Amino acid sequence: MQIQLDHLLPVPLKDKILQRKSGIWNENIQFNPGSFVKIKAPSGTGKTTLVHYLYHIRYDYTGSVLIDGKPWSGYNRNETASLRQQKISVIFQDLRLFEQLTALENIELKRVMNSQPYCTVEKVQEMAARLNVTHVLNQSSKTLSYGERQRIAIIRALVQPFEWLFMDEPFSHLDEDNTSRAAALIAEECKTRNAGFILTDLDHDQHFDYDVLYQL
Amino acid sequence: MASIGLGIAMVLILIALQANTDFNQLLYSDKNQNETADFLVINKKVTNSMMGQPEKSVFSPTDIENVRKQPFVQAVGLITSSQFKVVAQAPGELHFATDMFFEAVPDSFIDVKEDDWKWNPGDRTIPIILPNDFLNLYNFGFSLSQNLPQISQETVKALPLQVVISNNLVSETYTGHIVGFSDRISSFLVPATFMNWANEKYAGTTTAATSRIVIKTADPSNPALVKFLDDNGYTANQDKLKFSKTRVIVQTIVSVIGFFGLILLLFALLVFSMFIQLVIASCRKEIQLLVTLGTAPRQLQRYLLKQFVPLYFIIGILSLVLVTILQYFAAGLLAKHDMVVNPLPGIGTIIGTVLILVLVYIVNVSTVRRYILQDQ
Repeated sequence: MQIQLDHLLPVPLKDKILQRKSGIWNENIQFNPGSFVKIKAPSGTGKTTLVHYLYHIRYDYTGSVLIDGKPWSGYNRNETASLRQQKISVIFQDLRLFEQLTALENIELKRVMNSQPYCTVEKVQEMAARLNVTHVLNQSSKTLSYGERQRIAIIRALVQPFEWLFMDEPFSHLDEDNTSRAAALIAEECKTRNAGFILTDLDHDQHFDYDVLYQL
Repeated sequence: MASIGLGIAMVLILIALQANTDFNQLLYSDKNQNETADFLVINKKVTNSMMGQPEKSVFSPTDIENVRKQPFVQAVGLITSSQFKVVAQAPGELHFATDMFFEAVPDSFIDVKEDDWKWNPGDRTIPIILPNDFLNLYNFGFSLSQNLPQISQETVKALPLQVVISNNLVSETYTGHIVGFSDRISSFLVPATFMNWANEKYAGTTTAATSRIVIKTADPSNPALVKFLDDNGYTANQDKLKFSKTRVIVQTIVSVIGFFGLILLLFALLVFSMFIQLVIASCRKEIQLLVTLGTAPRQLQRYLLKQFVPLYFIIGILSLVLVTILQYFAAGLLAKHDMVVNPLPGIGTIIGTVLILVLVYIVNVSTVRRYILQDQ
């Protein structure tokens, strides 16, 4: 799946951005399928905004985001839902879990959204074990720590098929050990699917073998 | 709450529909046909302004044609009356003599099937049909006051009557024979052949003016018929028409019930619609997150509808069952009075149930569709 940015410019940050040079904003960018992309951005430069544009939950921009050559505006609700079920996955900075559900229910919800689930129940348990969250699976997500919730959000993003994974500061509340475990899991899952990812974070890091680096 | 409203609305509408079916059955079905109800004798009202001008109270050919054309009139028969004097005497010791008159109707209107209902010129015996009411009048009024014996139908049929027919010039005697009794036409009937012959012989006319006509109608209490009679200044045997007023009242009541049911249905639909909006609004955040995570709008709609639609069907089925039970009891009650209605609900009621459920479903689907997608 091709992702292309054509002079993408967020309306709220327009003035700030036009005053400096950005690696992403207002440029013509092509993301090659299957590549691991890192976008470094200091606070306030629009990391989250970019991820929201890529995932098509915010629309206040000029320019366009092209998915397989077609701008997001050209996709109807059903097509968008289908893309989100099959082609693109996301880990939000604010996680966006259902507070009323348990950790496992949150994961299950995404897993069975597809009539033919991509991931088995056993695989979920396996991933939970790798990220040290097995013991909280049956707890209400309201009662989990942020780090635990973050790992649940990561697993949720990995139970579906995708060609691109968008991640916005995915390890912000994880210690070194959990971070490397999570990164290893994500890299594995992406390689299995021949998928690429776009990760935004504040600083440079060595969590992955990145193919491309951008400065926002 | 809305379910109760829908339930009540459905039951009311179904009752109205079923009552309609029942009435049609009571009035028109074969099992409920009542002989006297089918025929009406119509004459023009004799008003003060018309008195003394007998030609004004006869039916012109145009009048007759007009009646024949009416949709509720199945057949029209002209009643011809005698234009000569008739005196009838009972034989023997009965000492009963009276002036009378004869009338004749086409044979198809005679309700007494008699092979004896024939008369040829030269016959000295005239077959006569008496009204039942007349015999009752005699037996329970006249005879008791005059100290005369009461007579049974069989005796009357055995009695030969002496009938003297005269005009100003000649007078001849015939034998009258009662061959039957009629509930239908309140008159002394003779065969049409005799009437035409006698009229010509004694009165010199072959066609007498038609002062009364008899019509065959499916339903004498039909309000349209009553209106037609009123508009043209005709009257008919009143007691057969009085059902009409009752019927109009009952029909009005049933319509009002149905109308209230419809209004209630509208309100129920409105409440359901608002309830769905409320449910959707109260979990807007959840719905938004679901859509963000990739739930197709169709999946959401299907889920919401699954919460509501089974409820509607249950209400529909329950209403139908309730009406069926009511109808079963009603049929039982009516049967005791010799009135037959089907103990099962009519096809109209079932179609009504289906239509209402379809309407409710459509309203719900469109509401869900409209509000799920509202802020996407």
